Amino acid sequence: MIVTRNLRKTYILGGQEIHALDGVDLTVPAGQFLAVVGASGSGKSTLMNMLGGLDKPDTGDVEIDGQNIVKLGLRGLARFRNETLGFVFQSFQLLPRQSALSNVMLPLTYRRPAPDNAKDAAQAALTAVDLADRMLNKPTQLSGGQQQRVAIARALVGQPKLLLADEPTGALDSKTSENVMALLGRLSRDGLTIVLITHDPEVATYADRVVTMRDGRIVEDVMNEAVAA
Amino acid sequence: MKLLKLAFSSLLERKMRSLLTMLGIIIGVAAVYAMLVIGNGAKDQIMDSLGGINSRSISLSPNWTRGRASNRKPYRRFTETDVEQIRGIRGAEAVSGMINSSESVVVPGTDSQSDIRGTDQDYLATNDMTLSAGRNLNPEDLEFSRTVALLGSSASERLFGKSYPIGATVVIKRIPFEVVGVLETYEAQWSRGNDENDFIIIPRSTMRARISGDDWLVKNKVDNIQVVGETTESLTFIETEVDSILRRSRNLSAADAPDFRIFNFSANRQQQAQGQQMFTILLASIGVITLIVGGVGVMNIMLVSVAERTREIGLRMSVGARGSDILLQFLVEALVLCAIGGAIGLAIGYGAGEFVERSSSVGNESVLKIRHSLPTAMLAFGSALFTGIVFGFLPARRASRLNPVEALRHE
Repeated sequence: MIVTRNLRKTYILGGQEIHALDGVDLTVPAGQFLAVVGASGSGKSTLMNMLGGLDKPDTGDVEIDGQNIVKLGLRGLARFRNETLGFVFQSFQLLPRQSALSNVMLPLTYRRPAPDNAKDAAQAALTAVDLADRMLNKPTQLSGGQQQRVAIARALVGQPKLLLADEPTGALDSKTSENVMALLGRLSRDGLTIVLITHDPEVATYADRVVTMRDGRIVEDVMNEAVAA
Repeated sequence: MKLLKLAFSSLLERKMRSLLTMLGIIIGVAAVYAMLVIGNGAKDQIMDSLGGINSRSISLSPNWTRGRASNRKPYRRFTETDVEQIRGIRGAEAVSGMINSSESVVVPGTDSQSDIRGTDQDYLATNDMTLSAGRNLNPEDLEFSRTVALLGSSASERLFGKSYPIGATVVIKRIPFEVVGVLETYEAQWSRGNDENDFIIIPRSTMRARISGDDWLVKNKVDNIQVVGETTESLTFIETEVDSILRRSRNLSAADAPDFRIFNFSANRQQQAQGQQMFTILLASIGVITLIVGGVGVMNIMLVSVAERTREIGLRMSVGARGSDILLQFLVEALVLCAIGGAIGLAIGYGAGEFVERSSSVGNESVLKIRHSLPTAMLAFGSALFTGIVFGFLPARRASRLNPVEALRHE
């Protein structure tokens, strides 16, 4: 599903070169639930941006679902994000004045050709995250956990092949976090490929595989027996 | 459609701000529209004041001496010879000479003063008049100084009421005239306050011989002469020819100041139209400047809006919006803002025009006339949309070029 080859990215910060990614080779088979852990500045967010086609590497390739997205133009990337990816962010990133339903429908409004069952699909996605009774609520009328589930429904509505979750529990308490992680685990078991970025080892235990990053390199790569079992 | 809905909802989220931003556009469009209808109205007024004059006509009159009105006299009158020579100018379609005076007119039962015009068969053509019944004067009427008369429509009604006047007799200064023609009512060139259709036309020779008498200095006098050219273009040539004919007959060299006046209506109208155009341009540019100021306001607010919604833009991009989608979203928002502002502005401009017309009226007559028109409204509204596109584009482009990673991180 995902293959990265010798991914490098260097930022200049305060006159100093920072190797955010320093030769990352990573292969993720379809259906795997991968957690990327590491301290802040380890390069995990940069890796996520590369996988999401939001940022381009200095050198190296990112192949997702057989497509080298480094070679895609802006339009191609937009299409790739719309059809292949689902994003979940730490801060939910919901449109505050729109209902949960409208928020979930958002990715489909950018799909070409425009689907005619966007509303049905959004309702189905919200039902899948147990929010069937909150569809018309605005984000401010929802709890943090509910908001994140709306965000997950939004990520799922376009039937992506890969879900990228950047600290999805970072803004949630431990009880709600468990809920959200359980939901991601369920999606994984249903066959969705998931890449989860987190600094919380507890959260990483939900994944099939945990990759640890430090200074832009992968320093540890272990299969998670507890979950696999 | 979706974009329009999105734009509306986003504008409604910030009602006060949207309204204030619109204000610039509202004032701009109102100003543009009001200025244009006032300009149009003024143009109509000038055209109206010249209406009824044959636009291909030149009018000749002698200069008059200065002094009290009752003592004023022409320096030197025109003569039959002048009329004949001017008639010979190439391109002169109709040439009429006229002597007029006010005389007593009697038909059984009435006795009144009337405007008597001694002229010739070309008079109708040079004044854009038409016959409603009977015949025009002809050269024989002049040659034999016949006592025949044509009546203006009001004169006919006043003297004969509803009865058919052709063949009837009117007595002018104790001389009986046979009515041979009646004219259609015509719109006067310059309203002098009295009835423009209350006059009687008789042959010029008859007028001179039996009614007004001749000038004791100049034989065969003619008070004024009107010339109609075949085309507007021929008027300039006719004008110079007339000038040289009159100078010759008066022994004036080209360097001498003329003692007569040539008034070219067409040239005069063009001049007035030009002045009018300048006036309209001046007024419209005031409106345009207001619109530009309004447009800058729109741009400013759109830039603020883009900055505020950076995260939203980042999110939209992360779920697959293209740069062009974002560009369009903000452009449509600016357009909707300007369209609503434009519509309100049009309504206000309409009202302002009406107000100007009413408040400038003296009695029933407005000093400043206005003319509403659809093209003007469309022009004003279109300029609002144009403003939206021009000033909405920069903020929209800025939004579309945001880096999604940074946009998402934006607080």
